[in-house]
Amino acid sequence: MKISKKIVLIGHFGVGKSSLIRRFVEDTFSEDYKVTIGVHVLKKEVNLPKTNDDITLVIWDLEGNDDITNTRASYLMGTNGFIYVFDMTRPATYEKLEFDLDYITDRYPKIPLRVIGNKKDLVTNDFIKQNKDVFGRFVDFYTSAKSGKNVEDVFSNLAQALIKDATK
Amino acid sequence: MNQDDKLKILKDILLQDEHEYASGLEDKIKALEDLITEHNNLSKHIDPILEQKLKQFVKEMPSTLGPTITEALKEEIKNSQDAVVEALYPIMGKMIKKYVQKEIQILSENINKSLSSTFSFKGFMRKFRSKKSGVSEGDLLIQDQFKSKIEQIMVIESGSGLIVSEYSKTENIDQDTVAGMLTAIKSFAEDAFTTDVQNLEYIEYENYHIHLQNFSKYYIAVAISGAFTATYRSKLEDKLLDFAQNIINKTDLNDSEVFSTKLKDYFDNENI
Repeated sequence: MKISKKIVLIGHFGVGKSSLIRRFVEDTFSEDYKVTIGVHVLKKEVNLPKTNDDITLVIWDLEGNDDITNTRASYLMGTNGFIYVFDMTRPATYEKLEFDLDYITDRYPKIPLRVIGNKKDLVTNDFIKQNKDVFGRFVDFYTSAKSGKNVEDVFSNLAQALIKDATK
Repeated sequence: MNQDDKLKILKDILLQDEHEYASGLEDKIKALEDLITEHNNLSKHIDPILEQKLKQFVKEMPSTLGPTITEALKEEIKNSQDAVVEALYPIMGKMIKKYVQKEIQILSENINKSLSSTFSFKGFMRKFRSKKSGVSEGDLLIQDQFKSKIEQIMVIESGSGLIVSEYSKTENIDQDTVAGMLTAIKSFAEDAFTTDVQNLEYIEYENYHIHLQNFSKYYIAVAISGAFTATYRSKLEDKLLDFAQNIINKTDLNDSEVFSTKLKDYFDNENI
């Protein structure tokens, strides 16, 4: 039986949501910044080697929003998994991280959520250690869409959680 | 040994190194002269370098010159729009003319084919329809040529935009992405007009009409080619409502295979 799941990426403008998806789906990266208007839908079929399950991830790349409360609620309906992305080089994108994450979990308490600190290639490990009060509490993965670091792992990890939910 | 001879010997001794150096230089200059004047000798050394540079240039041309050329072309087109129109007009005109001619030819061939079957059952039926409806046989023939045709049916979960079931005779689109984008467009349109609860019911895309029939947990998107008249739309709505009410049940929504079989059985005959 074919399993399809809807994944939504949320975060501020320019944090690299589209680049992460592009890296995951097409394995490409571009320095050119093209702002996402509205929503862009892509998909990728994933095989999970641990369980040998096949799953189709339909990924919704939402336009960036500096205020999460302005996110169009209709785009979030029926979501099976969330990925919250912030840019580690721009504090403005993670200053309200706790509020943003609470906003999602309050409305979608049973939906798996993964938190991503992106642009790992632009910060040092020391920088991450210095910010462990914020990063250490919330972040699941440090990624770089540019180098591809951990990108595959984020989606595989979420897919694994979704498969687990589906087979319960 | 006189004074001059002694001086010469002394000079030879003192300038021996310089002589050797000058002689070495002379040889080198001679070798260079040979290299430059002899075409074959020169090309043997220069050709591989030039070839490598040329290869590198060709390889890097799209990235180095591409943006400059595109920018120059854009600027040029912007500044001389009249000239561009003048240059393109005859070509576009010819293309359109050729396309229209071809389409009319196909239409004419189809009509001729239909007319040649005047004494067939279809022909008698057409005559009968014409007499009954008062519409001329010619109009009915043309109507038949532009008959609506269901190209694809997708049953899509409301909200998530995930495909529940799908049926098409030609599988040439990425259904998951299309279903997602349709849902996103629908969500946006329905959100934008917040005055009342309303649903997006119709999208036109070039030669295709996409009819959206909304239900509570899902909606059905039907892509239609040909003319999409109000009568056809009404009949399609009836058929979709009948399908939702009498053919499918709640459990089918969780079993895409059963749903697809029912969809295929119900819509295989496209005469709506």
